[in-house]
Amino acid sequence: MLDKPASALRIRERLLESERLMEETGCYDGITELKLRNQDPLKFETLHTKLRAYCVSAREMARRISASPGVREVGEMVVAIYTPEGDAIALSNGIMVHVHTMSRFIKWMIREGYEENPGIRDGDIFANNDAFIGTVQVPDVMDVVPIFHSGKLVGWAGAVCHELEAGGITPGGDVALAQERFTEGLFVCAEKVGVDDELRRDYVIRCERNLRMPIYWVLDEKAKVASCIDMRESVKALIDEIGLDSWMQISKEFIEEGRRAQLARTRQLTVPGIYRGHTFYGHVTAGKPGYQPLGDPDWLYNMPIEMEITTDGKIVMDFEGTQPWGYHSMNCTPAGMDGGMFVTLTQHMNFEGLVNDGAWMATELKLPAGTWTNPDNEMVATATSWALLLPAYGVFQRLLSRSFIARGFVEEAFVGQVNSPMIEMGGTSQYGTPFGMAHFECAAAGSGALAIKDGLDTAYVGWNPESDMGNIEIWEQNMPMLYIGRSIVPNSGGAGKYRGGCSFLSTWLISKTDHLRLVTSEHSSRVFDNGGLCGGYPAPTCQKHRAVRDSNIFELAGKGEPLPHHTGTNPHRSELEIRLEGEQVTVEGPYITAPHKTGDVFTHSYNGGGGYGDVLERDPVKTAWDVENGFLTPEAAEGVFGIVLDEDAEGFPVANLEATKRHRAEMRAARLARAKPVSDWIASERERVRAADFAPEVKKMYASAIRLSPRFTRDFSDFWGVDGKAAFGVE
Amino acid sequence: MSSYSKEVIADLVAGTLPWPQTRRIMSAYKDDDRFFKYVAVLQDRVGWQDRILLPVSDHLFICESAEGRVTKCECGHSFGDYRKNWKLAASIVVRDSEEALREIYPNSDLPDPEWMEIREFICPECGTLHEVEAAAPGYPIVHDFEPDLEGFYRDWLGQPLG
Repeated sequence: MLDKPASALRIRERLLESERLMEETGCYDGITELKLRNQDPLKFETLHTKLRAYCVSAREMARRISASPGVREVGEMVVAIYTPEGDAIALSNGIMVHVHTMSRFIKWMIREGYEENPGIRDGDIFANNDAFIGTVQVPDVMDVVPIFHSGKLVGWAGAVCHELEAGGITPGGDVALAQERFTEGLFVCAEKVGVDDELRRDYVIRCERNLRMPIYWVLDEKAKVASCIDMRESVKALIDEIGLDSWMQISKEFIEEGRRAQLARTRQLTVPGIYRGHTFYGHVTAGKPGYQPLGDPDWLYNMPIEMEITTDGKIVMDFEGTQPWGYHSMNCTPAGMDGGMFVTLTQHMNFEGLVNDGAWMATELKLPAGTWTNPDNEMVATATSWALLLPAYGVFQRLLSRSFIARGFVEEAFVGQVNSPMIEMGGTSQYGTPFGMAHFECAAAGSGALAIKDGLDTAYVGWNPESDMGNIEIWEQNMPMLYIGRSIVPNSGGAGKYRGGCSFLSTWLISKTDHLRLVTSEHSSRVFDNGGLCGGYPAPTCQKHRAVRDSNIFELAGKGEPLPHHTGTNPHRSELEIRLEGEQVTVEGPYITAPHKTGDVFTHSYNGGGGYGDVLERDPVKTAWDVENGFLTPEAAEGVFGIVLDEDAEGFPVANLEATKRHRAEMRAARLARAKPVSDWIASERERVRAADFAPEVKKMYASAIRLSPRFTRDFSDFWGVDGKAAFGVE
Repeated sequence: MSSYSKEVIADLVAGTLPWPQTRRIMSAYKDDDRFFKYVAVLQDRVGWQDRILLPVSDHLFICESAEGRVTKCECGHSFGDYRKNWKLAASIVVRDSEEALREIYPNSDLPDPEWMEIREFICPECGTLHEVEAAAPGYPIVHDFEPDLEGFYRDWLGQPLG
C-alpha cells in the first residue's frame, strides 16, 4: 500500500504549512496569484465544472443505492472533493452545511496523526459522526476516502447522509431526549471502517446491533462509499489527463478563487458597517417523562448576533451575549456553527464564482466559549443542534438582507429561515417488525418573505436548499401512520407588505401497530424563534401538538361521517375536538409521551417565515387570492392587513378597494393613537427591569447572559440605566 | 456586465416587475451601477429634497439635511443623527398581553407574554410601521444598523460623500 503525500512533507506538516502560508500571505495556501486561471480562464472554469459534475453525478447515483426515504426522496445527502489538507474544492447540491464539517473531520484525523496510526492508505474508508470532531449531530454520518495518484495522497472524496435512525435514547435521528452525549446514539469517532474499498464486516455488525432500523444507516454507508469511489476514480482520470503538478496547483487555485469571489460578492452586494439582530427559543420540558433532573427543565434562549462587514469584504459574526450550553440536545459545536455559515453563504452570496471552502475562509465566527455555540465540555449533547442553529442563521440572513436592501439589491433580500420541527418515531411497524425513523417532510417549510414578493409556501428550509417534502405514499410505506390530511396552515407566514411563506400541517391516523413512540424536536415553545424585517411581523412559530387517543375514527369512517383533516383555525377548539371523541391531548414543547396505538390521531405542523414591510401596504387583490386559497383567513385579512373583502356572485372573495382604503386610514390613526414615545416606554419599563420583575426563565436568561458576557452586561446596563448585575443578583 | 434602466429598477423596487424579468435579474450577473440608480429611484419617490445617502429600511433613509446627516422617514419626519438608534426617537406599540397578540395572530398558538412581547416601532408623524421586534420583556432595543458610511463611499463606491 502506498501512503505518501504528494508533497515531500508528511501530511500533518503540510497542513500546518498551508495554514502558516494563509496566515502570512492572507491567501489560501500562499496562492497569491491565480497562475493557471490567468493562463487559460476557460480551461480553469471547465475543469471546476467537471469536478462539480463528478460530485452531482456521484450523489445522484448514491441516492439510488440508499434505502432511506430521507436520502432517496428528500435528498438528505451531500458529497464533496477535498485537497489533501481537507479543504473543499468542489461540492454537489444537497445538505451543503456538511461540506465544511467534513473538512474539519479530515483535518482532525491529520492533526491526530492518523497517517501513522491507523494509517491512511489507498482503499481506506473513514467515518465520523462526532460533532466535536466534525459534524453537526449524531445522525449526520460522514464517510471519506483518500485519493492517491502515482502513490501520493492528492485529495479526499467525502459524503454525508442524514440518518433516519441513530440508536439514541428515543428513536429517530434528532434525539430530543438526549441530555448528554451518552444518550444520543451510535457514535463513530473518526474510525477506519473499511479497507480495500469495502466496509469492515465488524463495523456493519456494530451498526446492525445498535440501531433500531439498520437498513437505513448500512445502505447509506454503501451509498456513500460508492459515491466516494466514483468521485475518486473520476479525479484520478482527470489527473491522468492534466498531470499531477497541474492538479495540485489548480485545486488550490480553485479555493483561492472561491475566497476572492466571496470577498468580491460582499463588496458588490452589501454595505460595510455593524448589523445587529436577535431571536429567541423556548425549551419547555417540565413534567415530561424521561428527562433526568440534570438541569433546569425550562429554558429561554436569547440569540443576539452582531455582524460586521469590513471594507475589505470580510464578514465577522459574533454571538457574544448568548446562553450557556445545557443538559439538553440543542448545543452546537463550532463545526456545526461553521456549517450553518457555509450553507447560508452558498445560498445567498456564492451564486457567482466557485463554490467551495474559499467562501468560508472569507468569514470569521466569534463563538464565546461556554455558550451553546462553543461548549467547553465535550460530553454535551448536540442531537438537535438545529433547534438553535436555524433561528440563529435566520438572524444572519436578515442581517445580510438589510445590507442587500441598503445597497439596492432588493431582489436578494430575504427575511430568513425558520426552524423545521421534526418528528422521530419508533416501536413496532405496520409489518410487525421493530423500526425507527425520522420523518423528513419538514424539509419543505415556508420561507421568509422577500423584499419584493411573498415568501415561498411549503418550499424552503435553510439546511437543504433542494427543498422537498417527499411523497405521502413513500412515507406511509415506512411508518405505521396513514395521512388523513396534509394542509396549508392559514396565517402561518408572518404578516407584512409581503407575507412570509406558509407552512403545512399533517394529520395522521396511527395504523396497524400497538406501540408507536412519537417524539418531536426543534420547535420553540412560548416564544417565536424568528423575526420579520422592515416592519414585517414574525411568523407564529410556537405551535402546540394536538392528538386524540382511543379515538372513534373507525366508527365515524364506517358511518361515512366527516373526519378531521387538519386542526382548523380556531386556536381554542381544534377540528379534532369538534369531530372526534376520545382522549384529547394538547402538548406544549417536545412531544414525549406514552406510546400510541391504532386508532389514535396525531398532528404536527411546520413553520412559516417572517413577513416584510408594513402590513398596511399589502396588495388587497393578492390578499383576496390568499383568502380564496387558504393562505390567509378572512379575519386576518381584515383585522391584521386592513383589507375589506366582499364576495363575488360565485361566493369568492374580492377586495373592496374603497372600503379597504377607509379601513386602513382608521387603522393607521388607531396605531398612532395607541403608540407612545419610545422614551416614555423606556422610562416606564425601567423600574420593572431594576426590580427584575420577570418570569423565572426570563430572569435566568438575563443572569446567564450577564454572567458570561461583559459586553451584554454593559449594553444591558447602559440601555436601561440600571446595574444589570445587581438587578439579577450576579456576583 | 448587466445594467438596467432606472424604470426597470423602479419596478423591481416597487415589486411590480413581472416575475420572469425579475427572475432573470436574480439569475444574471449583478449590475455594478445599481446603487446610484436605486437611490435615484428612491429620491424620486420621496417628497423632499434632502439627498439620500443610504437607504436603511423600506421607508427609512440616511440623508444629508440642514441639520446634518439624519435618519429620515419617507414622510419627511427626521429621527435625528444617523449614528444614533432611530428607534429611540420613534413611537412604540408593545403587545405584551394575549389580547394584544391575538390581534396580529387571530388563528394561531400565541407566545407567552411573560416570555415574549412584540414591539412595533412607528413613525410618530405618518404612522408607518418601520420595524418589529419580538423580544423577551426587558430586552434592550436593538440598534439594527450602524453603517460605515464614509468607508462605503470612499472605498467601495469611489465617490465623495459630502
